[in-house]
Amino acid sequence: MLAPYLVGLVGLVLVPAAVTLTLAFTEYDLVNPPSWAGLANISELVTDPVFRVALANSLVFALVAVPLRVLLALGLALLLHRRSFGGRPARVAALLPTVVPEIAYGLLWLWLFNPLYGPINQLLRVGGENGLTVLGRTPPQWLTDPTDARAAIILMSVFTMGETFVVLLAARRALPADVYEVAALEDATGWDVFRRITLPLMAPVLALLVVRDLIASLHFSFVPAFVVTDGGPPPYATTYLSLFIYRTGFEYLRYGYAAAATLVMMLLTVAAVVVQWRLFRRYRAFYRL
Amino acid sequence: MNDADLTHDAVVTHDAGLTLDGVSAAYRGVTVLRQMRLTVARGELLVVLGPSGAGKSTLLRVVAGLEPVTTGRVWIAGRDVTADRPGRRNVSMVFQSYALFPHLTVAENIAFGLVVRDVPKVAARERARSAAEQVGAAHLLGRRPGQLSGGERQRVALARALVREPDVFLLDEPLSNLDLALRVQMRAELRALHDRLGATMVHVTHDQTEALVLADRIAVLRDGRVEQVGTPDEIWHTPASRFVAGFVGSPAMNVLPSSGPIHPSGAPPAGMAGDREIGFRPEAVVLGVSDGTAATVDRVEVVGTDAYAYLTLRAGNPVVARVPAAHRPARGDAVRVGVRWADTHVFDAATGLRCVP
Repeated sequence: MLAPYLVGLVGLVLVPAAVTLTLAFTEYDLVNPPSWAGLANISELVTDPVFRVALANSLVFALVAVPLRVLLALGLALLLHRRSFGGRPARVAALLPTVVPEIAYGLLWLWLFNPLYGPINQLLRVGGENGLTVLGRTPPQWLTDPTDARAAIILMSVFTMGETFVVLLAARRALPADVYEVAALEDATGWDVFRRITLPLMAPVLALLVVRDLIASLHFSFVPAFVVTDGGPPPYATTYLSLFIYRTGFEYLRYGYAAAATLVMMLLTVAAVVVQWRLFRRYRAFYRL
Repeated sequence: MNDADLTHDAVVTHDAGLTLDGVSAAYRGVTVLRQMRLTVARGELLVVLGPSGAGKSTLLRVVAGLEPVTTGRVWIAGRDVTADRPGRRNVSMVFQSYALFPHLTVAENIAFGLVVRDVPKVAARERARSAAEQVGAAHLLGRRPGQLSGGERQRVALARALVREPDVFLLDEPLSNLDLALRVQMRAELRALHDRLGATMVHVTHDQTEALVLADRIAVLRDGRVEQVGTPDEIWHTPASRFVAGFVGSPAMNVLPSSGPIHPSGAPPAGMAGDREIGFRPEAVVLGVSDGTAATVDRVEVVGTDAYAYLTLRAGNPVVARVPAAHRPARGDAVRVGVRWADTHVFDAATGLRCVP
């Protein structure tokens, strides 16, 4: 029964991954046969300023974007889990940005971020004079200022938390109603209910979602940076690991070097999985009700 | 005595432990409680008894404020709490599912209500311990609900309900998830706990034995109305309607038209005019009466020293008789069935209400 899946897994994932990881120790330009290079790629990575910037960008992105995404998803899930007037369209709206194709989503934001006629900056300029905001400050230069560009990529990613939202919505709806009724009888405040009941009961799911999002953040920063900012503003303000690997491999044709960077990215993922495993073990007691 | 006196408390006093004054409630557009009037005295243990769907749980939830009333007022300990939110009514509730917080220890579960009301930690812990001691759960304080048996969870839920000394305890079928032996034991402990605390309690159940054993008074519910309120003795000996008579007692009371086929012996009570029905419990049926009604035995169930003979009268009516197991008839036997007027209850055939005291 598992055979077709196993064939696919081995043939399409495991073997290419093994080949790629082997290539990490070679010099390969996709034209000439690969030549063994030992740890040369790795030691070059360590000193490569572009790689360092890309790694730092990826980590900062993960540390800022992931909490924002999960918090937004949690907030929306807790707001919208009840059957109420307007709840259904609101839930659809929360999910919608996630189902837009990535390229279309990127192009849409390219227009939204346009410093002159983009809706975001037009909105920010409302009430201000001479192209400034109402506070007399220059509106963010989304596509040309390094910090603003990083913020722009994070802003883009925050709205694609639909899957996390759906999982949290389901998790919240699966919580027993009677414990909330006990809380109501004890006159617990909304904050007490959130802090003492909802949050601890949802903690196992939240922990898994955070780790999942950490892993995924290495990937979902690729299309925004590729389509909207093209890795810039120059030199490398929004070059993330994934974009760095893509450029190195397919534009500069340094396939072995790109494979070495992939190896680093994979080690980061493994580290995240280990954390996930630990968290899961710690919270497993909760599921044994 | 008129019908209203039999089916409702005649006087609604607002200073009682709990008063429902003409309360109606609906659930998803369907009326579940209809103009209910009910008074629970302070310190009384009232058992609300009724079949599924009679509105028993809704009654508790309305008192707790978890469901709104559509008409009427709810009074708790002399306060009109109809408009108050659940947390302001000073009631505690034990749920059928126990509703323990799975992520908190037993001690934290019990102390929850104190902690969210900003009782200092040390005091809350001390009161939680003493509440746990009252229900025999002191040794469980460090455990989590997942590590407890059904009976232990039950005790913890009880401790959580009584830690705050509420005006009214609401118990929603708290014993229904326990096995029989434990249910009997917890029933006795619950009664002892009530006697010790002297608190006003409303206990909902569909188990008539539980109701008869536990209650100071029983309120029998049917289709969102109070069918009868009375002491267990009153409910048993003078059921106010055919419904109460049939619901309380196992096997259920036999009910036949007064015109026959069974004609009880002795002097009939006054007021037998009109279309009447007579009811008599299985233990009132006497087999082997020489001038009795002819019947055949369909099956016999032996329960220890008693046996229940399921009979069919010649006219086709089923009748259940309790006989000593030692003198039980066999299946297929022809027997003669007799009943005395003194052991019968008379109901109006049209309304189902008791019409002879």
